[in-house]
Amino acid sequence: MVACSSILKRIFLHLLFVTLFSVLHADDPEKSVIQIMTFSQQPDWDEPWNDSRVRGSTGSGFVIEGNRIMTNAHVVSWAKQIQVRRFQDSRPHLAEVAYIGHDCDLAVLTVEDPSFFEGLDPLPIGVLPKVRSVVNTIGYPAGGEQISFTSGVVSRIELINYVQPGNRSLLAVQTDAAINPGNSGGPVLQDGQVVGVAFQGTPGLENTGFFIPPPIVQHFLKDIEDGVYDGFPQAGIRLSPLINPAYRKYLKMGDDSASTGARVDTLVSDSAKEFLREDDVLLEINGYAVAADATILYEGNQVHGAIAFSQAQHGQSVPVKIWRQGQAMELALPVHVNQKDRLEGNQYEPPRYFVYAGLVFTPLSRDYLTTFGQNWSAVAGIGLLYELFYKKNAEPEKARNEPIMLSTVLSHSVNANMEIRGRVLVDAINGHRIDSLEDVIQALEEHDGSHHLIEFGERLGFECLDRQDADSANAAIMETYGIQKDRWL
Amino acid sequence: MKAFVRHALWFALAALVMDLGDGVSAQESTQSWSSSVIKIESTRHQYEYFQPWSRRTASNNKFGVVVHDQRIITTADYLFDQTIIRVQKGGRGSWYEAKLQWIDYHANLALLEVEDAGFWDDGLQPVRFADPIPTTGEARLMRWNDGRLESRRLEINRLRLGRSALSYIDLPQLELDSEVEGVGWSEAVVVGNQLIGLTTSQSRSKCSAIPSFLVQQILKEVDQGTFRGVGFFNFYWKKAENPAALDYLELPGQKRGVIVTEIIEVPGHETVLRPKDILLMVDGFEIDIVGDYEDPSYGKLMLERLATRGHWAGDPVPMTVWREGAMIDLMFHLPKADYRSEYVPSANYDMPPEYLMAGGLVFQPLTEPYLRSWGGEWQRRAPVRLVRLKSQAPTEEDPSCVVLSAVLPDPYNLGYQDYRYLALDKVNGYKVVDLPELKEALESPQEGYHVVEFLPGEAVSKVILDAPLLKDATQRVMFNYRLPTDYVVGEVDLP
Repeated sequence: MVACSSILKRIFLHLLFVTLFSVLHADDPEKSVIQIMTFSQQPDWDEPWNDSRVRGSTGSGFVIEGNRIMTNAHVVSWAKQIQVRRFQDSRPHLAEVAYIGHDCDLAVLTVEDPSFFEGLDPLPIGVLPKVRSVVNTIGYPAGGEQISFTSGVVSRIELINYVQPGNRSLLAVQTDAAINPGNSGGPVLQDGQVVGVAFQGTPGLENTGFFIPPPIVQHFLKDIEDGVYDGFPQAGIRLSPLINPAYRKYLKMGDDSASTGARVDTLVSDSAKEFLREDDVLLEINGYAVAADATILYEGNQVHGAIAFSQAQHGQSVPVKIWRQGQAMELALPVHVNQKDRLEGNQYEPPRYFVYAGLVFTPLSRDYLTTFGQNWSAVAGIGLLYELFYKKNAEPEKARNEPIMLSTVLSHSVNANMEIRGRVLVDAINGHRIDSLEDVIQALEEHDGSHHLIEFGERLGFECLDRQDADSANAAIMETYGIQKDRWL
Repeated sequence: MKAFVRHALWFALAALVMDLGDGVSAQESTQSWSSSVIKIESTRHQYEYFQPWSRRTASNNKFGVVVHDQRIITTADYLFDQTIIRVQKGGRGSWYEAKLQWIDYHANLALLEVEDAGFWDDGLQPVRFADPIPTTGEARLMRWNDGRLESRRLEINRLRLGRSALSYIDLPQLELDSEVEGVGWSEAVVVGNQLIGLTTSQSRSKCSAIPSFLVQQILKEVDQGTFRGVGFFNFYWKKAENPAALDYLELPGQKRGVIVTEIIEVPGHETVLRPKDILLMVDGFEIDIVGDYEDPSYGKLMLERLATRGHWAGDPVPMTVWREGAMIDLMFHLPKADYRSEYVPSANYDMPPEYLMAGGLVFQPLTEPYLRSWGGEWQRRAPVRLVRLKSQAPTEEDPSCVVLSAVLPDPYNLGYQDYRYLALDKVNGYKVVDLPELKEALESPQEGYHVVEFLPGEAVSKVILDAPLLKDATQRVMFNYRLPTDYVVGEVDLP
């Protein structure tokens, strides 16, 4: 995860591509490209009842079937108001998020005024473009007010980290088109069809931009057909290459199959534990042969085998062929959206919190860690990084569902003598292990002893509060610090 | 009026300095120190833990002072892994080979002896130790610089407890202010003709020195053959400044003592303290709410001083605690500071890096010197999982850890080349905590294979090696990568 985050840090959200006007579809697809202006407010993860200043940003989108606009999730995240404008029309129209998929960085918008779509043709979604083929992009990048056209070739197609969730990797297409902030969400076109949604670039690398390809876009649109967005499922396993001859022989793999099959190294999800075993060899996923380096040949591109699982929808089963103890077997592996690593990725819901006697409790999350500054992974300390990113795999029996931080202590005479003033993990309160924010509330509100005992990890000991004094001080502290609600759950 | 008081104070301080100097003038003092301050050159191995079979040498100059029985005392720093030590008197001229007579890294002190009688011919004089030492006023720093004895002014700030330079224990340290650069090489800190300390480190304008009373006490124990090593208090405590905490623990009477928060596990040592004990008295001294006691010679000092104030490892130290509503007298036995009692040892002095190479897979004990290979910010840069193990308490079943540190590419280990920094769990079904156990486990392959398993949560859970081919592969890798041996454990001479 830390390795991923270092990559993510180098990548930033934005973009777009340029296109050659001459190769555009005859029906002027630029008319269906929408400029999006978002006014947003992000929460303060350290003092979670506060929000940042209202920030304005622009992005792009395009019309799809059903009088809807497709764009990137990051274009409309934390939006308080969304305005959309048609091509060469300065009138703003109010829009709303109908569906948003942070894991795939896609969103669908609706517009209050149905006349907005009059005369606009939906752009058809195409297929995965070939490597080296030319693609064209349209959008509203920074540096000017007018629509912009750029072009480039498809450089490569592979699994990459999506910055919006921070902890998800999906198929993406790299192009050598110039990248300009502000064009996120705009279409990438080939032969008049959308072959991608521009979404992110890599600072420091020249001529490197990425777009979300049709298989991901179609998966998202299919997912929302039932009115609910579930997300991209995972197999819940960690695949390892199976290249070493001794390991292959140990698993009774014949010499004739030297380049096929990857090893199930670790079982992560409950469904994977039900159907698979460690050291099973995955030979095929959803009809794709799995190579020894854990890749599959997907539409002519050698990509990680995880792509084959993500083609299914949440709750579906994926047919797999495995090799177990010298025998080939076929089975259907259910795949599910992983909800357990929510705190490890970027979140798009206001942070949960509880304030008592000036003590502010909030979950330990990747977003919370960013309050340590730009270099948070180096500053936050090993203890917090381990608790959030590593413990569930290393010590699953000790890991917490929702580690809780004492994020800060709002000074008041009732807590002024406390040595610990925040940024520490809470281990237990009044003798109860803290596994979630609800545990904090229960441990404090249901305690009838004379003192509250709050214990911390990492050799930090504990702190005490006089219960009656704390109860009496609560209201005054809330008023002093302008906190309207003592909890957000 | 205030100015008068300030001037009076200055005179008083000056008088104190003069008193300690026995009325010796600065010039006379400098001359007398020239026959006691010795320049030391230490040449030592510098190991590269990422390639544990590689070694380089480096030399450093430092200083020491003459003590009785024709010996030199200095700090232990930079005398570890040494290949040769030479000493020079008078700041110039001949170098003489010296031998380590005694060294203790936790105390950060070493005694050198010089066999060549010629070294001692010209009237080298043992130093006089100040005891007690002054904790305010002016001192001088004495060291050889280009053949002349450099005498530079220092300002004594205070005596405090601080982390020993080469250890995890807290010892008394003299804190000094100085504009002099490059301090910390065991320069003599003197007042008049008495030694008050040996420098250990410098951070900007602040220097630290081992106070001479500690040097003198340890020297006496060493001479008597009774030095048992430095002991320490293996527990964490917190200040009792929050009255709610003392109320919660129902301590009657005035606020006092500190609260024990965690016991540091030391193998073979059973501590009598428990978390949430209020520590009220240690060795007959009352402990206040910030953890200080009133030292008869030096005033307020942190309670950790009481682990070395006339006590050594294994000694009993009486304590009084408030526990669960009752006052209890306890006898705390000081555990010995020992790197081997840590799950990830802080140091590995006087031994080359240990390793075992099997078929190109390089295994090493997880030690702090290994983690320090990631550079000055190793705690941030080294793999989180490995750094995290630094805070793990050793147990009888799991006292230490071995890591797969690298794979030297060879056809035998094809597919494993990128595996590194993985903490080992089992080999062929046997829990492995050190290299001898790993070596032994590799004697018991499972149906023709070596099954190497890593701790849960590592990037890969397992590797499999072909057992019959291992020996040949190991030999081939040794030849291709010019390893002198495939197994180094303990103090060995590499071929």
